[in-house]
Amino acid sequence: MRDLFVAMVKEEWRIHATMAGNLGFGLFPVMIAAFSFMGAWILPLFLEIVPASLLAFIVHAMFALMGVMVGSFGIMGREFMNRRFGQASLIAYSSRSLPLSERTIFATFVAKDVLFYLFLWVIPAVAGIAAAAPFIGMEPAFPLLLLVTFSLSFLEGLAVVFFLSTLYARSPRIAGAILAAGAVAVALASLAGIGPAMLLPPYAFLLAPGILPLAASLALIGIPAAVSIAWATIEYPDAARRYPNSFDGLSDRLSLFSRPWLTAKDALDLRRSEGGIAKIIFSFLMPLGLVWVFLSVLFRFIPGLSPLIVFAVLLGVISSTTYNWLTEFDTFSAYAFLPVDVRTVITGKLQSYGVINLVSLAVLILAAAAAGDAGAVVPAVLAFLSVSAYSLAVTVRLTGLYPSVMLYQVRVFLLYLAAISPALLVLIFVSILDPWYAAGSVVLLPAAWFLLDRAMLRWTAFDMPSY
Amino acid sequence: MAAIIETQDLTKTFGDTTAVDHVTLSIAAGELFGLLGPNGSGKTTMNKLLTGQIRPDAGTVRVMGLDVPADPVRVRAGIGIIPEQETPPSFLTAEEYLHFVGRVRGITAIDEQAEKWFDILEFRDKRQVLCKDLSRGTRQKLMVAQAFLHEPPLAFIDEPLINLDPIMQRTVKDFLSEYVAGGGTVFFSTHILGIAEEICTSFAILHNGVVLHHGTIDELVTGDRHLEGFFLERVRGHAHA
Ligand SMILES: Nc1ncnc2c1ncn2[C@@H]1O[C@H](COP(=O)(O)OP(=O)(O)OP(=O)(O)O)[C@@H](O)[C@H]1O
Ligand SMILES: [Mg+2]
Repeated sequence: MRDLFVAMVKEEWRIHATMAGNLGFGLFPVMIAAFSFMGAWILPLFLEIVPASLLAFIVHAMFALMGVMVGSFGIMGREFMNRRFGQASLIAYSSRSLPLSERTIFATFVAKDVLFYLFLWVIPAVAGIAAAAPFIGMEPAFPLLLLVTFSLSFLEGLAVVFFLSTLYARSPRIAGAILAAGAVAVALASLAGIGPAMLLPPYAFLLAPGILPLAASLALIGIPAAVSIAWATIEYPDAARRYPNSFDGLSDRLSLFSRPWLTAKDALDLRRSEGGIAKIIFSFLMPLGLVWVFLSVLFRFIPGLSPLIVFAVLLGVISSTTYNWLTEFDTFSAYAFLPVDVRTVITGKLQSYGVINLVSLAVLILAAAAAGDAGAVVPAVLAFLSVSAYSLAVTVRLTGLYPSVMLYQVRVFLLYLAAISPALLVLIFVSILDPWYAAGSVVLLPAAWFLLDRAMLRWTAFDMPSY
Repeated sequence: MAAIIETQDLTKTFGDTTAVDHVTLSIAAGELFGLLGPNGSGKTTMNKLLTGQIRPDAGTVRVMGLDVPADPVRVRAGIGIIPEQETPPSFLTAEEYLHFVGRVRGITAIDEQAEKWFDILEFRDKRQVLCKDLSRGTRQKLMVAQAFLHEPPLAFIDEPLINLDPIMQRTVKDFLSEYVAGGGTVFFSTHILGIAEEICTSFAILHNGVVLHHGTIDELVTGDRHLEGFFLERVRGHAHA
């Protein structure tokens, strides 16, 4: 089992290194550390505006959110073995022939993924802060405490979602009920004046290191994770699934697209794969819900900002990450022997992306209703559409059909940030002056168009790697 | 007859391996051509170069009169391909996959074509099953069917028989022979010499990316002379040279 773990880690490394080069990928944590160093460097400035405890909470909540976004292992079912890159060539798949239970392989896979995120994100972030500590008068031991609390926050988000997704795979209804009960409990707690520290014990541990918050954190991680590993639905009845032809009907209904057959295929992939629809709930709607809660809390402290506009902007960026899943269903090699080129396949993915964005739009309208901010609805919708199109265009230009691998390349990631963050900051800033200024985001649309056009040219001329 | 496939000094390298090394080859329309070579000799790479799935580093390649690297999509629209590795997409059913390919290729009579292939390869009972739940052999049948749905004049097939049972191998071999008799051309890569000897009309031996021999089966196979002996002699001779 240890060998299996080592082999999986090596495999993960090589998959990334194949696309990014050993150096390009190896530098990724260094880059995260550099960013966090710079962030820590200007920390004293931040602390003039925002209370330290709030800032600490935001950062811990972000790590928890990251855990939420990557933690839905429970809905992967058997696909953890072969879905990642469209082919059954991963070790997880071939180890079925070893004398190990599928559950052991699954647990090893989860452990590998967790370790991957810790080493790529959490540890470098703390390392950056540690490096900056002497310059900002931070106690040298404090980063060690942060390493513990950041990791625990990340793991808490991950474990809770792992548990919910495991439940969901067994019974969507029970999972929904538990989620609703949890939401009500949180709402009651906040009405009763119980602070966020209760929800995020790792944060409470940071404020007042002691046995109780530590034990609470470990319990909140250990119990759901253990239950999930033991309960996760990995064995499925091996009966062949049968369906009448719904591909043609779907293609006909999508005929306003130029490549309806590609979008129809994506839709069937999403609907029939084990994690399909659930993935929308766990990796998309739930993080969005958390972002919304988070913004509504935060904005009590920053007057003048319209939470709806900021939410719309973030929604645009988060929506663009759904392109990652769309490209995970297949690799270009599934089309390479047909009379289509990369341009066509990308066009198909863009169409599917357009369909998924209808869900985002519905979320935005819900948020608008919840916010009761009628005046900001139109600029918010425009900002969402523009940011969504623009971030998607940047992603496609930089990563083609391989976003989940390519974004770990330092150069690509930096370009991605450089292309997207200024636009977002300017947009949020001008919206403080007047929410209607956010409508100016439509200037991003021609930029998106241009980038997509260049992307098609670039990736069509690129020899696709095959793995 | 005129050449339907023509290469001149075709070369492809991957890092420091030269997978295809200055290959100059001309194949006439109407042949059932076998590209024979040991593992790793460059057969699949040749297939991908000829069908525009990868770009050559040097040399030229023309298929049905078209410059392949210049217009790979048009080339692929005119031919059928059975790739070596690829299997049909997991979450479509067998029937849906054929309809998918039909739409990609703009085939109007897709229903009749699909029905015809369910009969030829005898997998009508599997047509509503998700591709990921099909046996390897059935997935292979599906890949054979998708390559011939549009009745192309030329087909490139890379080891298509490997997962099929003897009965299905017979069916496919007979289909290929009939197809060539009806005017089609087949470019068939394999290292199974028996099959090549049985159905191919002409062949070439590829080793380390180099063509060692190009000729017809008839001129070679006479009396008790067989392809296998000739193949081993040539490949071993080249390996020691
Ligand atoms: N994408 C690639 N990257 C690196 N090397 C490659 C790639 N594709 C092929 N090769 C190398 O090129 C050589 C020829 O490979 P190819 O797959 O064409 O052989 P083949 O004759 O089809 O073998 P087999 O009979 O095993 O299918 C091999 O040495 C192989 O390792
Ligand atoms: Mg091969």
